[in-house]
Amino acid sequence: MSEQLKITCSGCSLLCDDIIIIKDDKEIKEILGACQKGINKFNQIKSKNRILSPLYKDKGGLKVLEWDLALNKAIQIIKNAKKPLIYGLSTISCESQILALKIAKKIDAFIDSNSTICQGKFLNIASEMGITTTTLTEIINKSDLIILWGTNIVESIPRLFSKILFSRGKFRMTGREIKNLIIVDIYKTASFKVMGTRDLAIIIRPNEDIELIKILKKAVKGDYTFPNEGISGIDKQDLERFKTFLLNSEHITILPGQALLNQKTNGDAIKELLELVNLLNNIKNNGRISLLMVGGHYNMVGFEHMALSETGKNQSIQFKNGESIKSDDNIISKIQKEDFDLSIIIGTDPISHFPLEISKILSSKPIILIDNKKSGTFLIATLILPTSITGIENKGLAFRLDHVPIQLKKIIEPPSLIQSDYELLQKILDRLNK
Amino acid sequence: MAFSLELLKGNVKIEDCTPLLDDPKYQEKYLKLKDLLKSEEGKKKELKINIENELCDGCGICVTICPVNARYCYSILSGKAPDYPPDTHQLFMVKEGKCELLNIKYCRRLETEGKERECRVCETYCPREALKIEYI
Repeated sequence: MSEQLKITCSGCSLLCDDIIIIKDDKEIKEILGACQKGINKFNQIKSKNRILSPLYKDKGGLKVLEWDLALNKAIQIIKNAKKPLIYGLSTISCESQILALKIAKKIDAFIDSNSTICQGKFLNIASEMGITTTTLTEIINKSDLIILWGTNIVESIPRLFSKILFSRGKFRMTGREIKNLIIVDIYKTASFKVMGTRDLAIIIRPNEDIELIKILKKAVKGDYTFPNEGISGIDKQDLERFKTFLLNSEHITILPGQALLNQKTNGDAIKELLELVNLLNNIKNNGRISLLMVGGHYNMVGFEHMALSETGKNQSIQFKNGESIKSDDNIISKIQKEDFDLSIIIGTDPISHFPLEISKILSSKPIILIDNKKSGTFLIATLILPTSITGIENKGLAFRLDHVPIQLKKIIEPPSLIQSDYELLQKILDRLNK
Repeated sequence: MAFSLELLKGNVKIEDCTPLLDDPKYQEKYLKLKDLLKSEEGKKKELKINIENELCDGCGICVTICPVNARYCYSILSGKAPDYPPDTHQLFMVKEGKCELLNIKYCRRLETEGKERECRVCETYCPREALKIEYI
């Protein structure tokens, strides 16, 4: 008999909690409300790329192993390693992240999440400067200006615009008509197509965002005239409008993206932008200006919270003798220095994501992969341990992009003999403790 | 606006607009419009909303921004997907990651309680340009 359920999608960090599915005892029949990214997540259930048994790379190629043997193999590889790395953790539940931290503590590993090369850099500087982030509800109800800075929301988080820009909100019943949008990017992305006549499109020369931020800082303080020729490829008229928007809007939300994070200015652009946020908050008598980080993985924020509560540090944690010690390294520098002899990759694909030089070094040492789908890392991993899909085949807690915790439901049974990340990591920890 | 809509639908002809014929200053515009419509003028046409499945990524902007959807599906006001089964007036919904047109009858471009409007918000804000309003 089919039934209708309201579930939370774990396709991206937006964690849409308004998805309706129609399912019977065995499978999902219909999915309503989810975007293509969400649908792809559900398609993983029966994908050809799904890993359905533990695999071990031998001289003769990949061999299927029994679970008991595979776990023993994993323990043996881990115990032989002196400097293991644990990386990924952004696509598993918070409960599993805690277990991964416990394993790292047990084996004196270096543990890091995808956040370290993504929003983590921004969050660290923001917390040092005392700037907090905002929530989706606040943006929906209060924001009258949304600034996308170097991010292409339409491609990365497809439903975010319909939630924050086109929704009406409690205090802003007219919705889109009263919400203005500024997009700063180096070329016209798909996100520019949602812009209306009142919105402001800023096309900036690459790596010159810092110049624009510095000039805006001077302008909002007053007594500053923009140069007639404009700056960084932006007209004077647009700069004037940008300043007017910043000073006249009540609730401003800035969504900084990867383009701003990966500037050659080595974090200075982030600091300048955060100083502009502080400055505007001091100048404005009503309303406030705040940030919303737009990471991609559905539980990247979760690891920040779990690691902070378990170790006092939100990312890049080095354990020694069962304690977290001070370390300035992150996953990239650790690989660059070849300061590792084993990597345990959980729910991510660094071989495809990292620069080629880094991937080459990573692939030169044994890899244990814990994931549910085949990837670039799968092709070179020594031992592969498959898991079920969190939010579909097993439940768990995840943090939405605005740091709101949301419980993911179990909808259907996983394939036979496939366990959740939590169950698998618990078994590894138990065997390590023996 | 109402006249141009009627013209598009083929319910009236350009000649029905008297100022365009009476005043010589509109002569150029009259000829331009005549050239634009050519043989299509006066042919009865029907409103179609075409959704190109290949382009649509199910972002749901059309579902949220459609004024008819917003009037009848309360959850849309806060950016959430509409409830299921859909309301009888609901125009759009996202199914299997693609937008689906449910019922064109209640579109603001068509006669609804005598308040027909030149509404194009779904087409204007579609970031993928997957949605097109046409008269065929």
